[in-house]
Amino acid sequence: MVDDETTDVLIGGYLSRDAAHDDFESVRRCGAYLHAATVVSKDLDGRLSVEHSDHMVREGAEGLGAVGFVLGLLVPPLLLATTAVGAATGATTGALLHRVAAHELKERAGATIPIGGAGLIVAYPKSSAAKARPAVKRAVSIAIGEAEGHHLQALKGALADAQHKMAIANA
Amino acid sequence: MGVRMPDPPDRTRLPIRRAPFRGRVDRTLGGSEPDWAAIAPIRAPDGAPNVLLVLIDDAGFGNPAAFGGPIATPNYTRLAEKGLRYNRFHVTALCSPTRAALLTGRNSHAVGFGSIGEFSNGFPGYTALLPKDCAPLPRILRDNGYSTAAFGKWHLTPDGQQGPAGPLDRWPNGWGFDYFYGFLGGDAGQWDTCLAENQKIIGTPAGFYDKQDPFYFPDAMADKTIEWLHGVRAQDADKPFFVYFSTGCSHAPHHVSQAWADRYRGQFDGGWDRMREQIFARQKQLGVIPPGAELTARDEAIPAWEDLPDRLKAFYARQMEVYAGYSENADYNVGRVIDAIDELGELDNTLIIWIWGDNGASMEGTVTGSFNELTMQNGIPLSDEMQLQLAERYGGIDAWGGQIVAPHYSAAWAWAGNTPFQWGKQVGSHLGGTRNPMVIHWPDRITDKNRLRSQFTHVTDIAPTLLDIAGIPVPTHVDGIKQQPMHGFTFADSFIEADAVERHTQQYFETIGNRAMYKDGWWLAVKTRRIPWVLTPDALAPYRPGVWDPDNDPAELYYLPDDFSQANDVSAEHPEKVNELKNLFWAEAEKYQVLPLLATLGTFFGYSPPMPDVTTVEFRPDVQNVMPGMIPRIYNHSYTISADVVVPPQGVQGVIVAEADHLGGFSLFVDDGRLTHTYSMMGVFIYRHQATQPLPVGEVNVRMQFVADAPKPATGGQVTLFINDTPVGGGRMEHTVPVRFSAYAGMDIGRDNGGVVDLSYDDRKPFAFTGTIKKVVFDIKPHLSTQDERALHEAAQHGHAAHALAG
Repeated sequence: MVDDETTDVLIGGYLSRDAAHDDFESVRRCGAYLHAATVVSKDLDGRLSVEHSDHMVREGAEGLGAVGFVLGLLVPPLLLATTAVGAATGATTGALLHRVAAHELKERAGATIPIGGAGLIVAYPKSSAAKARPAVKRAVSIAIGEAEGHHLQALKGALADAQHKMAIANA
Repeated sequence: MGVRMPDPPDRTRLPIRRAPFRGRVDRTLGGSEPDWAAIAPIRAPDGAPNVLLVLIDDAGFGNPAAFGGPIATPNYTRLAEKGLRYNRFHVTALCSPTRAALLTGRNSHAVGFGSIGEFSNGFPGYTALLPKDCAPLPRILRDNGYSTAAFGKWHLTPDGQQGPAGPLDRWPNGWGFDYFYGFLGGDAGQWDTCLAENQKIIGTPAGFYDKQDPFYFPDAMADKTIEWLHGVRAQDADKPFFVYFSTGCSHAPHHVSQAWADRYRGQFDGGWDRMREQIFARQKQLGVIPPGAELTARDEAIPAWEDLPDRLKAFYARQMEVYAGYSENADYNVGRVIDAIDELGELDNTLIIWIWGDNGASMEGTVTGSFNELTMQNGIPLSDEMQLQLAERYGGIDAWGGQIVAPHYSAAWAWAGNTPFQWGKQVGSHLGGTRNPMVIHWPDRITDKNRLRSQFTHVTDIAPTLLDIAGIPVPTHVDGIKQQPMHGFTFADSFIEADAVERHTQQYFETIGNRAMYKDGWWLAVKTRRIPWVLTPDALAPYRPGVWDPDNDPAELYYLPDDFSQANDVSAEHPEKVNELKNLFWAEAEKYQVLPLLATLGTFFGYSPPMPDVTTVEFRPDVQNVMPGMIPRIYNHSYTISADVVVPPQGVQGVIVAEADHLGGFSLFVDDGRLTHTYSMMGVFIYRHQATQPLPVGEVNVRMQFVADAPKPATGGQVTLFINDTPVGGGRMEHTVPVRFSAYAGMDIGRDNGGVVDLSYDDRKPFAFTGTIKKVVFDIKPHLSTQDERALHEAAQHGHAAHALAG
């Protein structure tokens, strides 16, 4: 993989956390190289939970959390992606970074994930698409955005692109 | 006590007149002579038996084991083995019409029940108002000396009359039942039933809150029936009883404990096509269908099991496991009632008529089945994957049948349950919707045990048969009103004689435009092309007034003596018979108020009732259990809910107003000191809005305002919360409920009875308000354009009609 390879960000919408988690595991086991994978869900009491792949730590992909999240199922994606606060760029690593990313993700997703719903975000280099995309089997809505590179700004751009496509699909 | 009855009483005019006073009255007791007959109760004719009439809901010919089905029905089978099975018994293809025909002995349209109780419209055959010149069976029996009681599903009271203002004459007591315990609507949750007792909605029993031993309506139905029987016998050892035991099972929601469902674990993994073949084979083995009967073909609207994705098969199979467990539980509870009658020593003199299904099995779950029976009626398109995910959201497929969901199985399971016939509920043109099993048990009279009867019989025959057996005439006058004759025929002699003459030789059928004409073995079937669970504009377009010519609908012809299952259409060989029966149908349709055809769907074509003009409704704090068809019409409109409350110094929590539950409903409540609004769009989308600041102490006005985006069904909009006119929070609701939150759950002020709307306070239910509520006011804001209002009104009526189809 080269640094300037195109990054795809797939966002999937689900009506249950179980379904999102099934795809999360499916993607992790698909054999593709991933930058990151995250499941965000909200239970029936309104409590939010976030589940990250190990990749987030390995790749410093806290940007995925920092740029926010949208579940697009029939609900026009909100604008968090484009208005997201600037992420802490490369300031921390390891477990601390993971925790910070999760915290920010929770704050943003808390306003956008429907009660009982869930979302999956997977970021991967374009070269992984042939394996990663088919591994997402249960999403009731899917959009894929892309951007050059795999640094934070690229992730943000790809996610915004995916959200835009989902908005169009659900309009 | 040796009291003399007027002898013989004139039973043709009800109430029975007492004989003239035959004593003597003087100025004092000296010289006076009492006439003790003047205070004697009316007695039933000698030999009039007890009657237990059992009606199972939404089940098919091929469901119970006694008719070859996969559902264990040991009590149904034991009665069949000591009594008679009837394999050519017919019903209408919809709930209320069958019940109206059953309890009046008259064709359903003729008594105003061309459709269901909730769908009362302006054509005589569809008013849902029992005419006073058609006194029903329980009234006749009661006035003739029977004790009468009904338990379970009613579904014969118009939607707008299910409150204390009534009028109450169309409630069960008004139909002649001394006692009623059950629910008035078309279905109810079996865990959280919103009950009625006699002339009052009593709500969900406290046992619903018992986690160890929760209330379960089928158990309670049997308990109450047995208790009532014991009470009657404690008072009068001889008075015959008439018990109408009408189960909520097996209508959706399919509610039963996991233990009952697990009895069938794995039994349906082979799918509906195989289940159908197995049923058919057992039916032949049992002899409940003739040796030459053929298994009808699968319509293309029903998918083949082998074409389903493997990952979804367990989900589909569980739907049927739950349905089967639910149905077996109904058999168990009927068995408890039978045992209680036996324990009283009266089983031999109790005529039991047990009809397994009122309209064939229901296909209203659509092909996917649904975690929430009302998603179809609200027009929410959900794929099978979505349905599975929603099931997962509410506990997974093992929770299917539990308190947290309101499930309905796939239409394909229903079709298989109607084996060997085509179609099912709503399809009045074919036997899948019109032929159901019947077992009759009466040891005192039936000696030809464990035999089959194949006379053509119809649900209108039950009342005349019971009156015939009891020695009670069909009254000519009731309350001074001249009565219409009954349309059914007694088949009592078939109890004794296998070859008893078949009196019911001609019968029309009509349900939502699907129609049939039976005469002397010939059956003309005319089905509209609409799939029963589809009400899209495209599906309805061919039936617009001025477009639809019913005589151009394709007609099928069957000769049932040679073709038990309607497998061979012989219309091409007998065009003259087709024409004869077509003409006969039109004549019968006119005679019995079936016309205009498709009146049930009239609202889709501009024939809607007048728009309601009430836009403001006030509720005082002790109002509870407002039935779902009677809540303020907030659907598709902007509206506000305003409440004047008093907050004590120590703060407050609890529900101000709540409608229905987490699978569809809204709640305005206070939690953590903050005003909160939760809205469940049928459990698919759930919105919650909370104030950013706590409620102040003292007298406070709180308000939830919803401003709709547009005058259209299911409109989104903006919610704003106010405290004393100051906005304190809110947010968007992208989708709202267009038709109806619930089929049965009520609206409450100051608490959230039954299942709760917001599961965050489920462990505190009913989460009663700890302050004081002075009043709650709903204010529905009409849209500015009359045209918009009219369009929305018609959309609401469309939904109402869709609900009607699911009766």
